[in-house]
Amino acid sequence: MKRRSFLLLILLLFASFSCRNSSNNNSGFLFPEADSIPVGEAEKLSTEAIEEIARNISSPVEIANLLQTLAVPFSPDYLASSIDANKQTTSFDKAFTLGILGADLGYLNMYEKTGSSIDILSSIRKLAEGIRVGQFFDFETIKRLSLNKSNLDSLLYLSIDSYTRIDKYLRDNDRGQLSALMIIGVWLEGQYLATQVITEYPDPVLRDRIGEQKIILNDLIMLASPYCDRDPEFGELCKFLQEIKEKYSEIRITYTLGEPVSREVDGALVVEQTETSVVEMTDEQLAGIIEITKNTRNKLIANN
Amino acid sequence: MKKLFITLLLLLPACLILHGQGTDQLVSSCVLDAGPNCKYLKDFRIQLSKAPSTVEMRYKTQMSLWKNTKYKFSMCTAEDSKGELILTIKNDANQVVLSSFDQKTGKTYKSVELTCNRSGIYKLSYDFKDGQQGSGVGVVSMVK
Repeated sequence: MKRRSFLLLILLLFASFSCRNSSNNNSGFLFPEADSIPVGEAEKLSTEAIEEIARNISSPVEIANLLQTLAVPFSPDYLASSIDANKQTTSFDKAFTLGILGADLGYLNMYEKTGSSIDILSSIRKLAEGIRVGQFFDFETIKRLSLNKSNLDSLLYLSIDSYTRIDKYLRDNDRGQLSALMIIGVWLEGQYLATQVITEYPDPVLRDRIGEQKIILNDLIMLASPYCDRDPEFGELCKFLQEIKEKYSEIRITYTLGEPVSREVDGALVVEQTETSVVEMTDEQLAGIIEITKNTRNKLIANN
Repeated sequence: MKKLFITLLLLLPACLILHGQGTDQLVSSCVLDAGPNCKYLKDFRIQLSKAPSTVEMRYKTQMSLWKNTKYKFSMCTAEDSKGELILTIKNDANQVVLSSFDQKTGKTYKSVELTCNRSGIYKLSYDFKDGQQGSGVGVVSMVK
């Protein structure tokens, strides 16, 4: 009796913890993660530190929102349409491309070009399944919401939340290098979008946003640094990031001080900052950033 | 006694799952409650026991906020919480930019809008009012 109860308990515990993602679980035996890394290496940056860095990276949705505010029209030319998910063979390629396409998905969603996002969604699904995180991407629901434009809020939430879950799962399972690649891919594509748009729409607000990326560039480099010696692909990526950093080295960001002003509007608190940040960046410096971003992004995509 | 122990063990995973689903529902409703002109950016899921003292806010995180962007910070508290979820944001110089709890009046705001004019990395601290036990969600959205 005792033995039966014990067995039943084990079975129930197992079933309870595995049923949340049961629809996408692989039933076959899983070999140990080929792309997981020794704990010692991952510990160079704590999980909390990586999580915080990830939060500091500007969301592509914010870039797309800024472009909309500036009345920049949508253009499919900025998207990484040439990427073929079937040709991404290594975990490096899959994770990096997942980041690139995540940014493109954010851009499409914000411009409500959701019908056009189905191809990208299919690629994202393939890539996510390729690194065994497909269970976190609710493809069917996102696809349904994409085709039904009325629920953009839910679509944005589900898309971003899927990426957040993938990112967390990778970090929690000693696959932080794939999480880093995804985050770098998202940032690079957002930066590419901003720098391409500014060549056609030279707006000072967008110009500042590009210059302000200096604030988080060190974080990005820190995110990649534990893995720079891991393989030639990572080594090349780290070199590219250093080149981008060099282009930013002479750009200055200064601050003017001021107390925030608060008021109550319809029961809600509304705060306006009076302190400001000012970006000092010459046209030559901006041109250098535009060029290095384009070259880096296109080289990394071509490698794939 | 043994039967009771086994029953409790059997119920534990079910409770954990139900709790997870509850948090997800709270996040979803908090995101949708932010309003039609808001676009979801991030959420922070907070669960804290009662604090031994109320000197410092306990759930600390950070995120980048960008100039020329209007953000909305929504705080949603789960029903079984003893206190309301509150938020304080400080800049990199540790100066308070906003607080959803007005210490002078004792009023707690469920949402705060911030017009950001200084790009940078900001420190977000969440807690439940008076260091109470509770669970809740902080949602960050952009206001269009």
